Amino acid sequence: MNSNTPMDNNAAEEKLVSAASSEVIINIEKVNKWYDDFHVLKDIDLVVKKGERIVVCGPSGSGKSTLIRCINNLEEHQEGSIVVDGITLNKNLKNIDHIRTEVGMVFQNFNLFPHLSILDNLMLGPIWVRKMPKAEARATALEYLERVKIPEQADKFPGQLSGGQQQRVAIARSLCMNPKIMLFDEPTSALDPEMIKEVLDVMIELADTGMTMIVVTHEMNFAKTIADRVIFMDEGDIVEENEPLQFFNNPQHDRTKLFLSQIL
Amino acid sequence: MAFVKKEITPARPAPLSERSVIGWMHKHLFSSFYNSILTIVTMYIIYITTKGLWVWGIADAVWIAESRRECFDISIDGACWAGVIAWMDNIFYGRYPKDELWRVNVGILLLIVWMLPLWLPRVKGKIFIAITLISFYPFLANYIFLGGESSFFSQFMVSAAIVSFVVIMLNAIIGVIQGQSISTFIATRLGSSLKSEKSQRNLNIALLIMAFIIAFLWQQSWVLGEVPWTKWGGLFLTLVISGIGIATALPSGIILALGRRSKLPVIKVLSTTFIEVFRSVPLITVLFMATTMFPLFLPEGFVLNKLAQVIIAVCLFNAAYMAETVRGGLQTIPKGQYEGAHTIGLGYWGTMGLIVMPQALKNMIPNIVGNFISILKGTTLVSIIGLFDILGMLSSVSRDLSWIGLHKEPLLFGAMIFFILCALMSKYSRHLEAKLSTNRKT
Ligand SMILES: Nc1ncnc2c1ncn2[C@@H]1O[C@H](COP(=O)(O)OP(=O)(O)OP(=O)(O)O)[C@@H](O)[C@H]1O
Ligand SMILES: [Mg+2]
Repeated sequence: MNSNTPMDNNAAEEKLVSAASSEVIINIEKVNKWYDDFHVLKDIDLVVKKGERIVVCGPSGSGKSTLIRCINNLEEHQEGSIVVDGITLNKNLKNIDHIRTEVGMVFQNFNLFPHLSILDNLMLGPIWVRKMPKAEARATALEYLERVKIPEQADKFPGQLSGGQQQRVAIARSLCMNPKIMLFDEPTSALDPEMIKEVLDVMIELADTGMTMIVVTHEMNFAKTIADRVIFMDEGDIVEENEPLQFFNNPQHDRTKLFLSQIL
Repeated sequence: MAFVKKEITPARPAPLSERSVIGWMHKHLFSSFYNSILTIVTMYIIYITTKGLWVWGIADAVWIAESRRECFDISIDGACWAGVIAWMDNIFYGRYPKDELWRVNVGILLLIVWMLPLWLPRVKGKIFIAITLISFYPFLANYIFLGGESSFFSQFMVSAAIVSFVVIMLNAIIGVIQGQSISTFIATRLGSSLKSEKSQRNLNIALLIMAFIIAFLWQQSWVLGEVPWTKWGGLFLTLVISGIGIATALPSGIILALGRRSKLPVIKVLSTTFIEVFRSVPLITVLFMATTMFPLFLPEGFVLNKLAQVIIAVCLFNAAYMAETVRGGLQTIPKGQYEGAHTIGLGYWGTMGLIVMPQALKNMIPNIVGNFISILKGTTLVSIIGLFDILGMLSSVSRDLSWIGLHKEPLLFGAMIFFILCALMSKYSRHLEAKLSTNRKT
């Protein structure tokens, strides 16, 4: 994995200055979740500070996606509490809708809207959810397309773009909603190697702006560059949690060691 | 030995077989010995059948005669189109009074002209056109077709229809010439002194109210004699019933399909039961039940005429079918689309209306139009319960004393009418599909 990632091996030295403040923005306490009888998340505790950048890794099926999908309620948890930006996630649909406007999410397979042009993909949320005037939404959309470096694709449709471009559009689409938190679920795993870098570059720039980010990824060099903390999950547990240098150079738990030996 | 290409290979025209008629025929019809034999045999069969049809239907046919007897006297084995021609008005309009036929034509023409701007690319505000068409046109058409005394409510809606129609026409003309909507046109031409959006809106509303008052006063001077529904018939009646069926099927089908997928158990069970009940009963049974059983459900003293009962039955039946079509379309939309919509904060209605439905309906165009076609054809069943729709009229020809026993020609004529209508619909559906799929491949 490591050898063909496009990032330098000394990336760790270029590590971004942490933007983490002391203000808590996500507070997950004793969260449990089951799919029928299958216990996916077991007593998860996690506190995320504003501006903090967290990388989540772990073997397939360990519950990484499930955990971050609980944060914007794409999945419901059954026990414990999740508080995002001061709002408790519960059955209250208003709370859920509110939190979703504050939390952006980027998926492995982009989930762009194929029937809308790139520009319309980006303008949809601001216009219909934020009730922004059309002209302003358009200006915002173009600005973010510029930021992800594909302004010239504005009038195309998602199906006409490469995977890397689509993923950058997906990032821009979330950013147009001006979220406080961004969740990424393996944003580069569906991409060809030569496209991974363009997406990671955009994410690094985003991290540079002080965005709170939770990223599920196996791109370890990326983790070393941006992460304030790396979280290792296995079988629904958070098994180990550390700052990246310590985590990679000096893993404590046997399962972490095994996992790292497999992917590095 | 490295190889480096020095020149770019020039483009050549495609081989002859792709371009000329002879080339095409050689490739597709006579490519091998057996293929050639098959082609020749097929052509011979086509020749024999069409020749018979030609001789009977055109060459030896009788076009002008007073009765079937006279037809026989002129040509014994030719078609007697004279009978169809004599009945033409009845086939199209039923027993609608001859002097009032213009009303039917005007009503249908209004519908066509109302919809026309939907196909003009430069015209703005298509949603407005569609909404007014659905909400006001039916009242206008109802008044034009039925006439007689009309209630205040009906007059109100007729006036609204007149205003909408005029606005749509002006909007279309301005759209074609200027590429603007009528409200921006007014704002830039007349309202340049008005700065804020709000005062522009007030101006528009004032203009609309004025137009409405004029329309209301004008329509009060209309005098249209009553033509009771029992006189309606022929193709006109078929189009009224199937038109209402087609117009309501999609919206009610969408509501039922969403209901069936709802997380609320009551709505889910109700929708599912409705759909399954109507889908498991033949339309003719529904029609019989409607005409005999609706009166039982209605409040005392409230009489619903047979036509209204039939229309309601047709609408309910087709709503159930359309619901399943729409549900099939909804199932083609991957879960990721819902999640993508949720993550930008869209709720249930936003997700459905902006993301899921547009894609599902696009995928469903052939099936939806297929449904429309079967609504049109299925409507002919009303002739069995005694309405004189086009099929009822066509079979009445043979009971006319002058044309007694004339079956084939009217039915063939009816078949041609249905063929033309259905072919137009499916042709349009293919056109729509092709148009919507350009640029938008996933
Ligand atoms: N909708 C579901 N119904 C039942 N089981 C599910 C569902 N979604 C996930 N699971 C199960 O829950 C477990 C955790 O899934 P999850 O997608 O969170 O894993 P992951 O860590 O993201 O794995 P990967 O690296 O493969 O994406 C897996 O065993 C999976 O099979
Ligand atoms: Mg996952």
